[in-house]
Amino acid sequence: MTEVRLGGTRGTGTDAGWDPKHFGAIEVLSFAVSGMGELTKQIQFVQPDDGNTDDHTVFQVRLPKPVLPGEHVEFRIRFHDHLPEVVARTGYKRDFFIVAQWFPKVGVWWHDGWNCHQFHSTSEFFADFGTYVVRVTVPANYVLGATGDVTAIQTNPNGTKTVTFQGEDIHDFSWTASPDFHLIEDSWQGSAGEVKIHLLMSPGHLRQAGRYLQSLKGTLAMFDRWYGPYPYDRITLVDPPNGVGEAGGMEYPTLITGGSTWWEPKGLRDIEIVTEHEFGHQYWYGMVATNEFEEAWMDEGINSYTEAKIMDALYGKGKSAIDFLGATASDADFLRVEYLLLPDTDPMTHYAYRFMNSQAYGGITYGKTATVLLTLEGLIGEETMRRAMQTYFLRYRFTHPTGEDFLKTIEEVSGRDLRWYFDQAVYGTNILDYEILDLRSDRADWYERYPPLTKQGETLYKDTVVVHRKGDFVFPVEVEMRFDDGTGVREQWDGRDRWTRFTYLKKAKLLSAEVDPAHKVRLDKDLFNNSLTAETDRRATRKLSTYWLFVWQFAAQLLAWAV
Amino acid sequence: MRSRRGVLGEGARIVWRRQRVLWWAFAVNLLLALLGTIPTAAALGKILDRSLASGALVDRFDVPTFAELAMSPARPFHVASAALFPLLFFAFMLFFEGGVLTVYRADRKFTTAEFFEACGRFFWRFFRLLILFLIAIVPVLIFNRVTKSWSDRLAVDSPNALLGFWVQVVTTLIALLLLMAVRLWFDMAQARIVVEDERAVRKALWPALKLTLRRFPWLFGMYFEISLAAWAGLVASFWVWVKWVRPEWVGVTFLLTQGFLLFWLGTRFWQRASEIVWYLRHAAPPSNNIP
Ligand SMILES: [Zn+2]
Repeated sequence: MTEVRLGGTRGTGTDAGWDPKHFGAIEVLSFAVSGMGELTKQIQFVQPDDGNTDDHTVFQVRLPKPVLPGEHVEFRIRFHDHLPEVVARTGYKRDFFIVAQWFPKVGVWWHDGWNCHQFHSTSEFFADFGTYVVRVTVPANYVLGATGDVTAIQTNPNGTKTVTFQGEDIHDFSWTASPDFHLIEDSWQGSAGEVKIHLLMSPGHLRQAGRYLQSLKGTLAMFDRWYGPYPYDRITLVDPPNGVGEAGGMEYPTLITGGSTWWEPKGLRDIEIVTEHEFGHQYWYGMVATNEFEEAWMDEGINSYTEAKIMDALYGKGKSAIDFLGATASDADFLRVEYLLLPDTDPMTHYAYRFMNSQAYGGITYGKTATVLLTLEGLIGEETMRRAMQTYFLRYRFTHPTGEDFLKTIEEVSGRDLRWYFDQAVYGTNILDYEILDLRSDRADWYERYPPLTKQGETLYKDTVVVHRKGDFVFPVEVEMRFDDGTGVREQWDGRDRWTRFTYLKKAKLLSAEVDPAHKVRLDKDLFNNSLTAETDRRATRKLSTYWLFVWQFAAQLLAWAV
Repeated sequence: MRSRRGVLGEGARIVWRRQRVLWWAFAVNLLLALLGTIPTAAALGKILDRSLASGALVDRFDVPTFAELAMSPARPFHVASAALFPLLFFAFMLFFEGGVLTVYRADRKFTTAEFFEACGRFFWRFFRLLILFLIAIVPVLIFNRVTKSWSDRLAVDSPNALLGFWVQVVTTLIALLLLMAVRLWFDMAQARIVVEDERAVRKALWPALKLTLRRFPWLFGMYFEISLAAWAGLVASFWVWVKWVRPEWVGVTFLLTQGFLLFWLGTRFWQRASEIVWYLRHAAPPSNNIP
C-alpha cells in the first residue's frame, strides 16, 4: 500500500467523516463441510485481539470430528459481498470495480496455532498460499484484470461473459473491471522467463502509460538482479480512473494498482514511485508473505527500503522523487521526513493496530524502517546489505518468516553481531541525534605576554571540537575536521559517553567539524546540527529570506487590491 | 479603441510623471515585509549559517532538507508575525490611496503637507467604501464557492479526467473577471469622490455604477488590458527566474522579484490613473476639468 503520498487514504481509526456509501460487508450465508454436513449454525464470532463482542470480522467453527494428519477436508461457503463505494482499496465507483478483500479468508496455521486477527483500520493482511480458480461473470463489454492467468472465456447468451482465472502459489485473489479500461500489453524477459505485462489504463491518463511501463520494467529488472527471480508469468498494473484515488497504490498477488493524473509533470515522480512500491510488494508481501498484523514493518518497511534503493538506481541519487524547476528530492529523504514526523512513539515491532495513531503507524512502519535499513547499510556496506537481502528472499520466500529470521540473516551474511543496533533501532524508540557542540581554535601561546603576530601556516593553534550525543541512541560515528591549511582528519567515536572532545596542536585553524561526513547515518534526527563551521555562511538564509520576503510582499499587494 | 489607447497612454504618463507616489508605496511594501521577515531570517540563520547541511539549499532547492528545516523544533518560519505585515500594508494603502488619486487628478507636484492632507481628507470615505466593497464581492465569493464544489465533484465523479479541471479553470476566470468588474465600479466611485469631492459615499456609488455600466465594455477592456500586462509580467519574471537565474544567485533573485513587485504595483496604479483620466474626460463637470 502506498500511504501519505496518496493523501492519507487509510482510515483514521475513528468514524470521522463516515459515509454510509462506504459501508461494505461479507455475509456468510451457509457453511458446509463435505462429509460433515451443514455447519452454518456452528458459526461463532470470536474477537482474539480486543474482546469486542460487536466485532464480527472473525468466526470459528468447531468441526464435529477432527481432521487427522494426512487427511483433507473440503468447505463449501456461500457468501454475499456488499461492495462499498471505493474505500481503503476496495469497492466500486461509477462503472469501475476494484474487488478486493471480498471473500471469507481462512486463517493461517502458523507457529502451532491459528493466526487470525480481526479487521483493523491500520493493518494489512496475512494469509496462506494456495491455488485459486475464480470464475467472474461481467457484462460482455467490460475489460477485466485479476490475479492469476486467464484459463477460459465463455460468452453467455444474456450479454455477459464468464472469465476463469487461475493462480498458483498466491495467498490472495482480487480483480478489477471497467468498460473504459484501455489495455496495453507488453512483456519483460527475466531470469525466470518471460513476464507478460498488462497495463489497464483509465481514459484521460493515457499519456502517462509510458511512465508506468518504464518504472515497472526497471523495477522488475532491479529486483531480478539484486534480490531474486520473479517466478510468475504475469503482472497486471491498474491505473484507477479519475476520482478513485482510494483504489490506487495497492498490492495483490500479480495485480497492483498505481495512481496517476493527466497533468503530473515528469519531474514529479509519484507515478514511478507508486509503481515501484506496489511491484516491490510482490516480493515481500507476495512471496515472503510476512504477518502484516504483527510485523507490518517487514512488508511495508522493507519494501520502502528497496523502493528507495531502486528509485535511486533508476532515476538518480538525490533526485529520484522530484527533479522539477530546480527543486530536487530523493525518495530516501522523503521516507526520512515521514520518520521525522513522529519518530519515537512506537517501536517498529508493535502490532499494526497498536500504534499510537495511523500517522505513527505510517511514519514508523514505512519511514523509520526504511531509514533504519539505510543506516544499517551504511554500517555493513551496500554490497553486504544487498547479499543479505537476497539471501533472506531466496531462503524465506513462500514461508512466512518472522522479524528475527530477517535480522539473523543480516547478522549471518555480514558476519557481525548487530544486536546492539537492532535492540535500539528495531525494538526500541531511542532517538539518534549527534551534534557538534563546540569548535574553536585558540593560539597555543595564549599565555605569552607579547605573543608574535599571527602568521598563517606558522602560528600554532590549539584546535578543539566537542561532539555531543544529544539522543539516547548509541551509535559509533565518524567525525571529520577540516583545517585552513587544506588538511583534514577523520576520527572514530563509539558514542558511548554523552560527549567527547578532539584536540589538535596544529599550525592551522579549524574550518569545520562534521559528524558522519559520508552521510550514512540517515537515522540521525537533526542533520543541521551534525556540522559546525568556524565562519558563517549566510547564503542559504539569504536565499530563503528572499523567497519569504517576496511571498509576504506579494500577499500584501494582493490584499491591498481591495482598497 | 483608439481613444482607449489614448486614455491608457495618458494614464501611464501620469504614473510616470508622478512616480514618487508609486515609489513610496513600493518602499512601504518592501519595508513592512522586511520587518516581517526579520524573525524568520534570524531563526533560519541560527540553524543554517554555521551548518554544512545548508549547502543543499544553496546550489539547489532540496525539498526534504527544506521540509526538515520547517519541521525542526525551532519552527523557524514565523508565519504569524509575517502575516501581520500584509494587514499593515493594507491599512497603509487605504490611507494612501486618497492622496494618490488626488495627485493623479491634479497631475502636479504636491508638497508633503498637501499630499497627506489629501490622504486624510478621503480616508474615512474610502474606509466606508471598503466596507461596501466587501459586501459587494460576497456574491462573487459565493459564486466561486459553489462552482468550486461543483468542479471538485466533477473532478471526482466525472469519468472525464479533464472536465472538473476545465470547469474550475473557467469558473475561476469568471470569478476573477467579476471581481475585476466590481473593482472597476468601486474605483469609479473613488474617482468620483476625489474629483467631485463627494461626501456621501453611498450616493457616489450609484452614479459610479451607472457610469461604469454605460461604457462597461470599454472600461472593462481598459482594466483587462492592464491586468493582462500584469499577469504577463508575472509569467515572464517566473520564466526568466527558472531559465536564467542560477539557484545560488540570491542577489539576482532579489532584484528580479523586487522589479516584478514594483511592476505589479505599478499596473494597479496605472489602472487608477487611467480611470481618473477617463473620468475627467467623460464624466466630470467642465469646472472640474481644470484642477
Ligand atoms: Zn505498500
